[in-house]
Amino acid sequence: MTYSFQFRDVFAAWEFLLEGLVLTLELSLVTMAVGLIIGLAGAAARVYGAPWLKRIVAVYVETIRNTPLIVQLFLIFFGLPSAGLKFDANTAAMIALSINLGAYSIEIIRAGLEAIPRSQIEAGQSLGLSPVQIYRYVIIFPALRMMFPALSSQFVLLMLATSVVSQISAQDLFHMASIIQSRTFRDFEVYILVAAAYLVLALLFRLAFAGIYHFVFARR
Amino acid sequence: MSLVELKNVVKRYGTNTVLNGVSLTVEKGEIIAIIGRSGSGKSTMLRCVNGLEPIQGGTVAFDGIVVNDPATDLRKLRQHVGIVFQSFNLFPHLLVEKNITLAPKVVKGVPPAEARALAEAVLRKVGLAEKIDAYPDQLSGGQQQRVAIARSLAMQPQLMLFDEITSALDPELVGEVLKVLEEVAREGMTMMLVTHEIGFARKVANRVVFMHEGKIWEQGPAAETLGKPRTPELETFLSAVLH
Repeated sequence: MTYSFQFRDVFAAWEFLLEGLVLTLELSLVTMAVGLIIGLAGAAARVYGAPWLKRIVAVYVETIRNTPLIVQLFLIFFGLPSAGLKFDANTAAMIALSINLGAYSIEIIRAGLEAIPRSQIEAGQSLGLSPVQIYRYVIIFPALRMMFPALSSQFVLLMLATSVVSQISAQDLFHMASIIQSRTFRDFEVYILVAAAYLVLALLFRLAFAGIYHFVFARR
Repeated sequence: MSLVELKNVVKRYGTNTVLNGVSLTVEKGEIIAIIGRSGSGKSTMLRCVNGLEPIQGGTVAFDGIVVNDPATDLRKLRQHVGIVFQSFNLFPHLLVEKNITLAPKVVKGVPPAEARALAEAVLRKVGLAEKIDAYPDQLSGGQQQRVAIARSLAMQPQLMLFDEITSALDPELVGEVLKVLEEVAREGMTMMLVTHEIGFARKVANRVVFMHEGKIWEQGPAAETLGKPRTPELETFLSAVLH
């Protein structure tokens, strides 16, 4: 097998790649923030909520975790407009990814909440703290610390999964790669480059999470 | 009016009756030691007083407020009833200072500077002023339990409940905790303490309550009750724990 790599044309289109990279980063960061909020609220509802609330959250979590992300994405982008709800591609992508990550985060954080000893909650109650105060000051921090490795790994997976949004024409890194490919016909080079970009991004996220763990959670 | 009034309290876990008609009154300033075998219901009774255990029958009242009334604001009530647990239950992710100031700050709205001064004051009382910036896991069991007492004191409760607070400690650490307890007692705090330290009960308590099979089997002035038990059950219990 002989193949002579020619990266020149591909590199020439770096601005496209950069633009895509920016959207991928944006999508990832926004989704992580929203997903974490959904996870914290949903897990609290799942563990401490009223029975009906627990059931609703369970249905949400299991529906999302047992259907493909791309189907969820298409439902929101192509399906919902029929019901009068129309989003542009980037917004639809953000919504779908957040809903998706939220469900996984709930499951992960739930495990953390369930590992907090009952006695910690009783200590909070005995001091006159409200349920919300107990959650915020007593429970969240140890629970997140415990689940941080699982959660950050899920977040990195999410970042990689953002590549499916190119399917609804959101102009992320992967979408831009396809554009360059169709212009240069340098498939191998483009996808090597894009793979390298995702790899670097993933490693950077892991590094950032390790940093957060070190500075926020490690001592305590 | 008595500070604490239990009337015919019944507590069941499923078909297992843990408290079978317990009645007890505690006056302001009294120190009550509650003794008995494990499983006799003494910890459960204590936990009914601040509403940690829901009850199936009877009434529990604190300062005239019915604890088991669903309309009672338990959060408000618990600001006046401190409890110290066997396993300390400090918040492991918070500094000693934050452990102590959390409730005063978020429940009572005490400003930060004042809260810090409060933490210093209660820590001095338990002899741990220098540990204010430590984390709980940097302290020995005895020190952790003293911090737990300080945390409870910081809310300035009218009543303090102590649930076997020396049972999880190495023997050589029991003394320092009992010393703090004596100090708190000397300041006139109303106390209910579940304990296996019979000697301590005799020394500090005004009244000893012996529980057996979910009932108050016998009670009376500490020295008298422990010295001359009236029931064979208490006699057997005392000879078992004292030897």
